[in-house]
Amino acid sequence: MKEWIDVLIRSASLFFLTLLLVRILGKRQPSRMTPFNFVNYMVIAIIAALISVNLINPVWGSIALGVWVILPVTLDYLALKSKWIHDLVNGKPTILVKDGKVMEENLIQVKCTGEELLRELRSKNAFNLADVEFAVMETTGDINVMMKSDKKPVTPFDLGRKVSPRPEPQTVILDGNILNEPLSNLGLNQEWLKVQLENMGVTPDNVFIGQVDGSGDLYIDLFDDALQVPQPKVKELVFANLEKCQADLMSFALDTKDPKIKNMYLQNANKIEQITVKLEPFLLR
Amino acid sequence: MTVGSKVKQAVSNLKGIKSTLEVYTLQTGDEETSSAYKEALVVINEVLNDLEKRVQTLELEEPQFKGL
Repeated sequence: MKEWIDVLIRSASLFFLTLLLVRILGKRQPSRMTPFNFVNYMVIAIIAALISVNLINPVWGSIALGVWVILPVTLDYLALKSKWIHDLVNGKPTILVKDGKVMEENLIQVKCTGEELLRELRSKNAFNLADVEFAVMETTGDINVMMKSDKKPVTPFDLGRKVSPRPEPQTVILDGNILNEPLSNLGLNQEWLKVQLENMGVTPDNVFIGQVDGSGDLYIDLFDDALQVPQPKVKELVFANLEKCQADLMSFALDTKDPKIKNMYLQNANKIEQITVKLEPFLLR
Repeated sequence: MTVGSKVKQAVSNLKGIKSTLEVYTLQTGDEETSSAYKEALVVINEVLNDLEKRVQTLELEEPQFKGL
């Protein structure tokens, strides 16, 4: 009878102790660990399990547990300070493909077959080896791929187009609750939000998610999916209106016979056209 | 529609654009965006001035359409 209480208390306390120790070890994802990190976690798990079912002396076990936690933490700290120790502990990334050519010696060194390399490349959407400029195996065993520059996805930079900077959106309503912190991050308050919701004709408790984007427009998703809400199209409208204005000014210029007035209209039409071009990235993209 | 009322319509349209841009200038957190809006607002104000002057002359020529 006494023994099971012993195991119960031991397991419960080890549960929280192990939780704490693993938290101290860091936030690394299991799939992003180096092989040695994996071994480290395994040893901690096994020692914890052995102490928990009373197979080894708890004092010895705790010492072993302490060593397996303190050493990696110290090494991690030293690796932060020194590049040499970092390379020693974590290893270096291995280049597998360079200038479009597979480095066979490096493949052998990391014990990766050609089949495995191709599989990893395919999982990075590089089905054609000819499209790969550079591939590197990280210390975690992941393979990262850089495609040849003509096979890369097109960016606005490639197209020579200017796009407006987009600060991250803030979630201001979640599950019908108004969140004050994101609102004040944007320099807004609850009153503003209530006015916006009133304009859309919805109550705050009907909103599942409400986000405010960088330009201050509110996007909402309702619990009631049958309800149609107007989505912000104000910027598009402003752009269309600017274009209309320019067209109007041009037609006024055509209508009038007075050369001075005609000139005034034409100049103003030009000005509006220029700001339309300038504002296009901000209003439409 | 007379020329006068058409120009007045354009003026009010432009005023609408101006007020919306002013709101966005205040709302946006990004420096570059707000300065682009401010630049556009300066130009819009210039155009508005010209058009309003024109409206005044047109009102003299077509006194029956004076006012709104």
